[in-house]
Amino acid sequence: MTEPVLSVRDLQVEFPTRRGNLRAIDGVSFDIAQGEVLGVVGESGAGKSITGSAIVGLLDPPGRICGGEIRLRGERIDTLAGEAMRRVRGKRIGMIFQDPLTSLNPLYTIGRQLTETIITHLPMSMQQARDRAVQLLEEVGIPGAASRIEAYPHQFSGGMRQRVVIALALAAEPELVIADEPTTALDVSVQAQIIAVLKRLCDERGVAVMLITHDMGVIAETADRVAVMYSGRLAEIGPVREVVKRPHHPYTSGLMGSIPTIEGRAERLVQISGSMPRLDAIPDGCAFHPRCERAFARCHVERPVPESVERSQVACWLYDEETRTLKAAP
Amino acid sequence: MTERDLVKVADLSRTFDVSRPWLNRVIERREKEFLKAVQNVSFSISKGETFALVGESGSGKSTVAKMVVGLLAASGGNIVIDGVDLGDKKHRARFGALRKRIQMIFQDPFASLNPRWRVGRIIAEPIWAFEKGLSQDGVDGRVGELLSLVGLDPRDAGKFPHEFSGGQRQRICIARALASKPDFIVCDEPTSALDVSVQAQILNLMRDLQDEFGLTYLFISHNLAVVRHMAKRIGVMYLGSLVEVASPRDLFATPKHPYTRMLLDAVPDLEMTGRERMPVLGEIPNPIHPPSGCAFHPRCPFANDRCRAEKPGIHEAAGILTACHAVEEGRI
Repeated sequence: MTEPVLSVRDLQVEFPTRRGNLRAIDGVSFDIAQGEVLGVVGESGAGKSITGSAIVGLLDPPGRICGGEIRLRGERIDTLAGEAMRRVRGKRIGMIFQDPLTSLNPLYTIGRQLTETIITHLPMSMQQARDRAVQLLEEVGIPGAASRIEAYPHQFSGGMRQRVVIALALAAEPELVIADEPTTALDVSVQAQIIAVLKRLCDERGVAVMLITHDMGVIAETADRVAVMYSGRLAEIGPVREVVKRPHHPYTSGLMGSIPTIEGRAERLVQISGSMPRLDAIPDGCAFHPRCERAFARCHVERPVPESVERSQVACWLYDEETRTLKAAP
Repeated sequence: MTERDLVKVADLSRTFDVSRPWLNRVIERREKEFLKAVQNVSFSISKGETFALVGESGSGKSTVAKMVVGLLAASGGNIVIDGVDLGDKKHRARFGALRKRIQMIFQDPFASLNPRWRVGRIIAEPIWAFEKGLSQDGVDGRVGELLSLVGLDPRDAGKFPHEFSGGQRQRICIARALASKPDFIVCDEPTSALDVSVQAQILNLMRDLQDEFGLTYLFISHNLAVVRHMAKRIGVMYLGSLVEVASPRDLFATPKHPYTRMLLDAVPDLEMTGRERMPVLGEIPNPIHPPSGCAFHPRCPFANDRCRAEKPGIHEAAGILTACHAVEEGRI
């Protein structure tokens, strides 16, 4: 087996507060192979974005990584100090954030922002960098790229701005792209365009992608594998088809059932009662047990770890330890 | 107009003046500029029905919602609710009675509740306003009932909005909307700020309440799946105009208007059928200088000279209303 581009092992992130340490990420492990798109889904507060920030070393203080390790092609990056991490970020890991307006500098032309990124990370002259910037803008589908390179971010529409951000993320030929809710601020028709561009470019370059979103539809269309997060922990991770069609974890099935689809009108949506626990009140045992209809005694006391079920890894006590199949209802 | 129509909107239009200040116009020699946010929108909603408006940002759906509840004056056309014309001065006397029968639920449950008022006071405000002479105990009792109705604890009346999650706040908004015993509720993107599992709770609650009280909803959303789940009839808006009105079954199985087709194809598919999609072309044009003729023609694969020159009117065939020359001529 070839080495994964990104390997996260038992990641722990905590936020020290006056009332004790809040564990925002607790024991998350996953790999992303070359050319693979890993979707990370979960509701607000599940820890998806914090996982992304932890990988690129951009956790907001006082948040800090307090355990586990993150490796980029086998090389540990979670222990890198400021300047060394800065070289990895941008060069080897590209980032795309939710709001394209705040991730571009409003006072610089997009050409300047692109050439600056290219020159910082690649050995190129000003002219070469400029040509490359135009070429990048063409690749992300900006019409008349050569003439628009002198334009400022406010002169672009939301969808076009997000294309510029994608060009910027890919400018230094990164091995990994972390896209944090790249289409959440956009309309559906624009979202479809952006997803198509992102998918095409990452395919062409064999870039590994970590796609963070709360939109299951986007994941189903784009990702190869999906990680479902709940309360800072992994509930389930597996091939997209299996997670979407035959979810193993009760939380995933509830989540899938609660999504209205355009294919059919269910009389009633599946409802998971309650809401995700606050970080200072994560219950003992399985974090999902207060909302789980199938919880039993063990779920209240002992925390499940992800174990394989079919082709997925599922953190749930409902599966038999020996046979790894669903236990009969007690 | 049939007996059962509670709300009837005809030729509704709204224009906003987006001109630069007078001095700038004089110095820079610019004309006045107008944005036609809503143009000639007509629809009717029967009692107990949910009518939905979908469209992308800037399509004018929220402007329609604001005009229907009377938060914005219409620039043209009229809105008749239960026989009362909102724009007609002669009907003004009947407004008061009508007011309490129309309520609104807003998109952002964080912005639509006063952070310094306790929940009990927020929900009691419409009761105080519309049912004068009710005793304090009577009002408190009603607030408690309303809170249990939306799935909260009557004791929550003593808390402040910040003590609740997004979904719970939206429940408070719904309780407030129900406080004046309305018939008609305008819901402007009621779930788009919520997570999917919470969205499911709120949508289920809204449908239960509709069944219980026979409510009529005007449901505004950008999410086609949510609209399909909630509505009896759906109107699709593009750049201020209605382009298609149909039942969910017709709209999703056989979309007629090219814009509806494009929009449906753009929705990410949970089924992963890998079906062929119509690629999305172009972007929504600037509404201050909309294209000539049919506003969708620059992005439409079926556009011809007539589409570029002449604005299509609404045309009915088999219960489906479409505004498209190509559909009318049978070209597609």
